[in-house]
Amino acid sequence: MKPSPSAIPAACAIPGTPLSNASAGIDACVHCGFCLQACPTYITLEDENDSPRGRIVLMRALVDGSLPLDDADVRTHIDRCLGCRACETACPSGVPYGQLLEATRATLTRMTPNPFLARLVLFVFARQVLLRLAMLGGRITRATRLSWLLSRLPGRAGFAMAMLESTRSAMRRRHYTPTGDGARGSATLLTGCVMEGLFANTNRATERTLVANGYSVVETPQQRCCGALHAHAGDDDTARMLGRANVAAFEQSGADFIAVNAAGCGAMMKEYAHLLSDDPTWRARAAAVASRVRDVSELLAEAGPRSGGALDTTVTYDAPCHLLHAQRIASPPLRMLGAIPGLTVIPLDGSEHCCGSAGIYNLIEPDVSDRVLAPKLANIAATRASLVATGNPGCLMQIGAGLHQTGARCRAVHPVDLLDASYAAQAHAHRTP
Amino acid sequence: MVRRAIGTRRRCQLNAPPVSDVTAALAERVRHAHVTGTALRITGAGHWLDAGRPCRADASLPLAEHTGIVEYEPGDLTMTVRAGTPLDALRAVARGEGQWLPLDPFGHLGGTIGATIATASSGPLSAAFGTPRDHVLGCEFITGTGNVVRAGGRVVKNVAGFDLVRLVTGAWGTLGVLTEVSIRLRALPEIDRTLALETTAGEARRWLRASAYTPLAAEMISARLATDMGIGSRDTLLLRLGGNRALVHAAAESASALAGSRDVDTTVWDTLRTREPADAAVVRLSTSSSQVAALWDRVASIVERAGGHAHATLQRGIVRCMLPVQSDDAEEHARLRGIVGALLTLGSSVVERLPSSLWAKMVPPAASDALSIGVRRAFDPGHVLNPGILGELA
Amino acid sequence: MPTDVAQHAAPDLASRLAALVGERRVLARPSELRSYESDGLPGYHARPALAVFPGTRDETIAVVRLLAELDAPFVARGAGTGLSGGALAEGSVLLGLHRLTRILSIDADDARAVVEPGVVNATLSRAAAAFGLHYAPDPSSQTACTIGGNVAENAGGPHCLKYGVTLNHVLAITVLLPSGEVVTLGSADGERDGYDLLGAFIGSEGCFGVALDVTVRLARAPQAVRTLLADFSSVNSAAHAVSSIIASGIIPAAMEMMDGPTIQAVEASIYAAGYPVDAAAILLIELDGAAAGIDDDAARVDAFCRDAGARGVRIAAAPAERARLWQGRKKAFGAMGRIAPNLVVQDAVVPRTKLPAILAEIQRIAELHRVLVCNVFHAGDGNLHPNIGYDATSADETERVHRAMAAIMQACIDAGGTITGEHGIGLDKLPYMDALFTPATLGAMCALREVFDPGRRSNPGKVVPVHSCREWFAAPSARAGGAS
Repeated sequence: MKPSPSAIPAACAIPGTPLSNASAGIDACVHCGFCLQACPTYITLEDENDSPRGRIVLMRALVDGSLPLDDADVRTHIDRCLGCRACETACPSGVPYGQLLEATRATLTRMTPNPFLARLVLFVFARQVLLRLAMLGGRITRATRLSWLLSRLPGRAGFAMAMLESTRSAMRRRHYTPTGDGARGSATLLTGCVMEGLFANTNRATERTLVANGYSVVETPQQRCCGALHAHAGDDDTARMLGRANVAAFEQSGADFIAVNAAGCGAMMKEYAHLLSDDPTWRARAAAVASRVRDVSELLAEAGPRSGGALDTTVTYDAPCHLLHAQRIASPPLRMLGAIPGLTVIPLDGSEHCCGSAGIYNLIEPDVSDRVLAPKLANIAATRASLVATGNPGCLMQIGAGLHQTGARCRAVHPVDLLDASYAAQAHAHRTP
Repeated sequence: MVRRAIGTRRRCQLNAPPVSDVTAALAERVRHAHVTGTALRITGAGHWLDAGRPCRADASLPLAEHTGIVEYEPGDLTMTVRAGTPLDALRAVARGEGQWLPLDPFGHLGGTIGATIATASSGPLSAAFGTPRDHVLGCEFITGTGNVVRAGGRVVKNVAGFDLVRLVTGAWGTLGVLTEVSIRLRALPEIDRTLALETTAGEARRWLRASAYTPLAAEMISARLATDMGIGSRDTLLLRLGGNRALVHAAAESASALAGSRDVDTTVWDTLRTREPADAAVVRLSTSSSQVAALWDRVASIVERAGGHAHATLQRGIVRCMLPVQSDDAEEHARLRGIVGALLTLGSSVVERLPSSLWAKMVPPAASDALSIGVRRAFDPGHVLNPGILGELA
Repeated sequence: MPTDVAQHAAPDLASRLAALVGERRVLARPSELRSYESDGLPGYHARPALAVFPGTRDETIAVVRLLAELDAPFVARGAGTGLSGGALAEGSVLLGLHRLTRILSIDADDARAVVEPGVVNATLSRAAAAFGLHYAPDPSSQTACTIGGNVAENAGGPHCLKYGVTLNHVLAITVLLPSGEVVTLGSADGERDGYDLLGAFIGSEGCFGVALDVTVRLARAPQAVRTLLADFSSVNSAAHAVSSIIASGIIPAAMEMMDGPTIQAVEASIYAAGYPVDAAAILLIELDGAAAGIDDDAARVDAFCRDAGARGVRIAAAPAERARLWQGRKKAFGAMGRIAPNLVVQDAVVPRTKLPAILAEIQRIAELHRVLVCNVFHAGDGNLHPNIGYDATSADETERVHRAMAAIMQACIDAGGTITGEHGIGLDKLPYMDALFTPATLGAMCALREVFDPGRRSNPGKVVPVHSCREWFAAPSARAGGAS
């Protein structure tokens, strides 16, 4: 086995594709393997093809033409990626894995379209009327307790119903009028698709807590879906269309900050400049908008946040991947929880690992998703906390559904709901001394 | 096909110093022995030879003349030395540079470095510094066919090639005649202080386990041995502390809470090393460190009743028993056989010394498994190096 | 070795293996094998015939016995983080042991653990932390590399300056020989007389068989730790500081040096540790042990650094700050991925006193061949890691990197050093073996290998150049003894 030196082929076999445009990122990988243990699908499936390093090898093979774009194995392993980007946090070489993944998916879906269910979901999210109808349907199912009944069904349908069921607010209804001086500037909320559709209470809580912490809140009526689901699934044309619409809408709003309470959406919006980089004009406009985007926890942590009334309960915190790994936001949500008197925060083992939600992944790859979720539920159970806080609708529903189906008493809740409840408790205490 | 981005097409040059004349001559003797089928008994200073180990030798291969330091670079804390160099000579040279080889095998202080490595002998300092396998960086040895092999190197970290150094360390010369060794030295500690504490093995072990301090040595001494050495009259812990002044002071304070302690001269360690009588049976029993106090309690009473001495390297789980051999008659051998037999049932055992008539009866072969036989055959196919010394079959 | 010997051995090998471990655990299609064409050494690719991933000890034994029966070569692989190409399996069966991840026991009282080979180094330390213990050898890849791989390579790490390498921490191994026979090497409960076959097995780079379980010693967490960052305007004065510290008798837990280009790469990465970017070299020195006296030692180390010409010394005691300083060092190799598309990672050792001379020589070689060498190394051990970033698409640059690396290796050998301190020989260092060892020594290594693996089926073609083995076995003296 005498090694024979040879230069690595430099030619690109797939010019003009999104992947070839992103291929410089592949070169940054030195194959050190530090990403392996950070990757939920590698841990679960135990095959390097289902790891970031393995997928980068496959991407490189596509670029140099040694594997064809319609290779079934490549597609399988690329599809199985959760896109949690935990590998980016572990990567010393700074491989832009999330961008590589999206470029690969965009390239592959041109050859072989996504499965029907995925296309249907993406189709609906891209159309406001259909989306509103779908969310209305969801709320009716939830209100009639049909979701509770159907959540016992086996398989995906049952899990989907459990997800819906889990969106029922874990906190009691809160009535208080926040007061604030607006000195920290103006913020406008990305109301989001699922957030406004199924977590409207959380959106209102977000507005109240922002006001209570010195932000004035303005509305942005023309906003659309952020396009994250489309970008992650390789539908970059639709993602760009939605991105442009949002850039235009948020330019109009004029608010200092664009507050986002869905980590996945925030991560997408912060990368609008990359999404729209094919067009110099839009790129500059997108960069300006993206620079104003903040996760709600960032804005609140910046302000303290102000402490509220006591909540006598226990909570553990699970970091949404798109907050921790994509946006590198680790401590602000914990500072929110820390501002609540009486609240016991119990550390969660493996908080940095994905819960398996990953946008629509749990619908498309249910088996892997379940296996990724299982250790998360076990770790949550081990904390014996009454609540698990996490700031992303996908995670709230995935973990919430898992807790629901396993009969756990623990409920998933958005951190702003907790802070809001604390403020409400304080307001209530003032009213009834 | 191996696709390779980088590599060496240009071959590097071997830059090894030539084999010394003495080594060449020794190699020639071994080669001759191999061809003629002459079994060789490898001897160093001859101090440790009366171990009673069986050896079917036709001739002796003395290395006592093969002495001297080949290379000593104090800044590297490494020394390359010929195998016949006595440990005490080596110690004197290193001490001149503020360094030492923290290896203190029992027996004569003038035993050779070659014999120490070949027999993997160590003493109380092994608790902190390990055994010969942890000190040897490289060596030169002559295989049973007369090939001169240079394994390892002179640097403190080295994973080039298969580890022949570990292989010949403790092989009792049966895989090769050690002619030169490179060893790692340490800087002498700023303070080197020894305390004697009257305590039990159980208490001592608990203190060691919980303590933040790592002593250089912690040796349990049986009551009779303590009396003999003049350090007390009960079971005694000898604690050797090293480091800077503040550290040693704090460690001594902490140990004093265990039992009344008093300082003893550091020469007590040499006293211990040379304590075993000229005629003695010596057996090392060992177990996991959590079981060592229990082993000590059982062993010490047997040994003391038999008029012998026991001491234990607690962190390593080793209890060493020295039993006097009063005479060379059958009755005495039978008595000894009973005691040693009882001891050998108590833990893992290594027999250091035993009257040769008892050796074959009581000590199972040490290299009788297929891999060991294979290794022996590969390095000494003619079976000419110390044959029988590991109880191995021809 | 004929290529694809595994396929040749039995055309239905894949299905027979699948019957043992399950369909999903055998990879045979080229597209799925591609990820297993390389390990942590960049730039090398070799296609295995098959990959098989047993999930239990029994499955592993069954797989190896089947391969023995078919006389098929195999290469054991852990996490594939090795830096010498040791897990490349050209035409062989790649035996992935990364699924054997059970920690079988942790014994707090005796401070030891028994683990399967696929347990990740850092995972073991995390599990042991509950008992105030940790596994001391800490290669930079510890968050990914496996204990089995550590045993195969006799892995070191920054902290082996004080605590020793893998060899010093393994008590016993249950070994599955290439023949399929299971033997125990070493002893966890007391000493045994006889050959140190355990010592021979550790660092044998997968050529002697497969570890089924490993009993390791665990170290107690030190009571106090101080990490010092010393900043130098010349590499020479940093090397001088290293010598004075070592000579003083203080044994730091670790003493790491990084040169200017490395510092700049780290500081440009997400692991920016706050190193001074204008320094010619920094030393990262860690002291640990009992709290008493540690600050005295820290003060002395500080003084040694300043005497040697340090511009500044910073002492970190808080865990978060120490972790940050270390993070930069541990991720330095990966951070170099930013500098250039390709990277050669080297590993060599010189006697400590030769450090200034060898660093100057490396600098001279780098200038001569017009390459950028980034030095990051375990200074306390004299263990260098000169790394060169380059662009492999340029034939000219590749050739210059070739020449520079060979020259650096020769310089280390000439300085009385060795060609690898912790990465192993694997495939990468094979060409240098003849420069380091005499034919008789290489022959002896081959002879030792033959004892464990007479068919040379376990990781064939690695560690010792094949021609050396021919020479030893052709020697009349060896033949006379029937060692063939």
